[in-house]
Amino acid sequence: MDHFDEFSRPLEYLSPMDRHLRSVLRRFIEQEVMPVRRQYDEDWKEHALIEPAFDRLMGELGLQKALFPQEYGGWGIAGSDYIFRFAYLLCEELGRADTGMAVALAVTFWPLLVIHLEPYVNKRLIAEFAPLFCGTNKAMFAANAMTEPQGGSDIENMGLLKGRTIRTTARLEGDEWVINGHKLWPTNSGGVARLFGVPCTTRPGSSDIDDFAFIFVPADAKGVTQGGPYEKSGMAADKNGDIWFDDVRVPVWYRAHGPGRDAEAFYQLIPFGQVASIAFLTGAMMNMYERLYEFVSTRTYRNRPLKENPAVAGIIGRIAGDIDICRILGHEAAMMGDRRNTPYGLPLISEELVGKIRNIKDFVSDRAVENLGKVMDVLGCYGPDRDWDIEKHWRDIKIIQLWMGGKQLCQMESARYFFNCETL
Amino acid sequence: MNKGLDYLFGITAGDRDGDAPGVISLARQWAAKEVIGNRLDYQRNYAALFEDKARVLALNMGLQRLAIPVDQGGFGWHGPDHAADIAAVLSEVGRADSSTGVILALNYVLFSVLTRFSEGRPRLVEAVATSYLEDELKIASCILPGPGSAGEETPLFKGRSILARVKAHENGFVISGADLRPFAAGLKADLFLVVCADERGRPCIAVVPGDAPGIERGRGLLTTGLSVLANADISFVETEIKQENLIQGPEAVPLLFTLLNLFLGGVSLGAGMNFFEILLDWSDSRIICGSTPLKENPLCASVLADAAEEIACSRLLLDGLARLVSPCRSVQPLDTEGLYTYAVMIGARVQQSIMRAINRGMELMGSAGYAKEWHAEKHWRDVKTIQSLLCGMGAEAPAKMDTARFFCDCKEI
Repeated sequence: MDHFDEFSRPLEYLSPMDRHLRSVLRRFIEQEVMPVRRQYDEDWKEHALIEPAFDRLMGELGLQKALFPQEYGGWGIAGSDYIFRFAYLLCEELGRADTGMAVALAVTFWPLLVIHLEPYVNKRLIAEFAPLFCGTNKAMFAANAMTEPQGGSDIENMGLLKGRTIRTTARLEGDEWVINGHKLWPTNSGGVARLFGVPCTTRPGSSDIDDFAFIFVPADAKGVTQGGPYEKSGMAADKNGDIWFDDVRVPVWYRAHGPGRDAEAFYQLIPFGQVASIAFLTGAMMNMYERLYEFVSTRTYRNRPLKENPAVAGIIGRIAGDIDICRILGHEAAMMGDRRNTPYGLPLISEELVGKIRNIKDFVSDRAVENLGKVMDVLGCYGPDRDWDIEKHWRDIKIIQLWMGGKQLCQMESARYFFNCETL
Repeated sequence: MNKGLDYLFGITAGDRDGDAPGVISLARQWAAKEVIGNRLDYQRNYAALFEDKARVLALNMGLQRLAIPVDQGGFGWHGPDHAADIAAVLSEVGRADSSTGVILALNYVLFSVLTRFSEGRPRLVEAVATSYLEDELKIASCILPGPGSAGEETPLFKGRSILARVKAHENGFVISGADLRPFAAGLKADLFLVVCADERGRPCIAVVPGDAPGIERGRGLLTTGLSVLANADISFVETEIKQENLIQGPEAVPLLFTLLNLFLGGVSLGAGMNFFEILLDWSDSRIICGSTPLKENPLCASVLADAAEEIACSRLLLDGLARLVSPCRSVQPLDTEGLYTYAVMIGARVQQSIMRAINRGMELMGSAGYAKEWHAEKHWRDVKTIQSLLCGMGAEAPAKMDTARFFCDCKEI
């Protein structure tokens, strides 16, 4: 194999943008991210190094506009039949350099998808928020304020809980929603995002999905308070913190779609987030392969290159094989998402699609966690050394395994579909 | 947790006698009072507090003197009979902070090696012991055989490249070697145990004072864990050592590996046990699906069981290894090769098991697993660092070759 690009992917699945956008992104990350990414960990709080890279990526290259219709200055990707595959290539390419940067961009799309994806389109809100993202060359972030202190990943478990455990409330007063609650850990919180999508309940304790509301809240609205970023084991480019909503008032039409449809539109985010997660993981693993290739070719055991020792070859062969399989699975997951509106596709909110995509994400996460740990050991005394980049990916991708309900929720969603479980 | 760690994991602790229970208890008190009880403050001010707390343990509580021979003013825990006790002490320290555990482990390895090969070099033991009795925190490090560079033939220790060379010079020896990667603390170490090849390519250990002329320390490395130990590559440019500072013979390097696997296994086991305490606290106090405590959910309970099983089995394996190291406690004494093989085998298994326990447990903790505030991620990074360093290179492959050579008489691998 001559190049990491040769890891398998179904070529017939590639989006029309794949070749061009991939080359643009690759040039960007190789010139502006990879040479400095080893300094990102120390920049977790200030983002003095990271912010200019985001400006270039999201503002100047224009990726933050991608979802919006062309009439607002966007690229119209949300209206295409390849948004999942577009997201896959974007997240994989960025993930190769820095999964934290990749997630910060992908999560900006997340709340915006709730109002962009057919059949859940809200043209008024698109028109309202388009200038924020399409009218600037500076990076502009959005966030999905989901997780709450008491519930952990319950919010992602809509299939079972239907929003019953949500404590952030939305109360209708005249022509305004009044929001109260406490969210934590959203990507792009910690003072970064300018716009929040906030899942909340109009009737606390209710399991009726009509009482689930998805409401947009500008970060500068009165009553919104953000804490500083948390310190984490990795992903310095992704800031996370607390957000408090204290009698925050927004116009009534800032609710995404209304009773019932909010929950459905929100639930679409789960497969999108999982496909993006798989792409981060395959991107990171491809960079792992690049660095591993260099190490096992230049370092020796028994005075021969490590890769020429059969016992070591057995280990690294399995690792490369896993990357190949994971990449095929990732593209299949993306294609499942893009088939959603075709006669042979499944709706994004179907239990089958959610179960199958969660299953792939769980599988790829496990392979990534195991393989990056293994590669650190192949590098041995050089494994924990940041100069080899492996340990950075190892720290970062563990976070991907743990987020969005983590492994156990993936297992439950998978069991629900494959075994028709009724009480899980 | 309503049952203590001793009850859950310390089922072989009853074997200890003499001073051991007291010393282990002392280390536990240090861990609880100085670190675990003030975990958040310790984490936030780690760089500043680490050395203070390590000094309390090593100097005020005297653990730096633990392995120094009695006739040199120490506590005399340098022999194989105390290997199990040392590992137990290191587990207590590892519960609090792996870096402190690694410092002590390397110091205990140093004195165990020096005293084992003290015949003919009384002044060396005395000189090192004297420096360790001073009121300063002392750090020893090791430079082990590891990956070589393609195109360069090197002498080997069981397939691993020995990158430092030693040759006779006047009344002593000179060591040379460029950009060697120490186990830890390259910038800080007061003394290095360097595995080097003599003029006939045979592995031996050079005891090199950190201030010897000709030692060049590279830039500080950024590392996954054990970061306060400040590692850096080391070059020896015709560095002179005294004759007695070179330990030769076929038993020396295998003993070094044996002790590293046992003692660092103890450190990682302690980190794993404290991670389990954190995990239990989490699973007791957090709910799932709106009302069920995490630990009462069957899927989560099976993850907790996985973590417990890995830690409990590691404890038993390490106790078994300690018995093999101490001939009087061993059922059947092993020769140097056998002991080395068991140590490498068990050492690798213990590190893998503790990593698996932490990785599995983190799955239940969600974002708290990777938030620095909860400290789980620090154990995860530290143990992974120890595991990778101990592997040396090639993941499990070199250890598998060692094992196959011993058990199957393989000649060509």
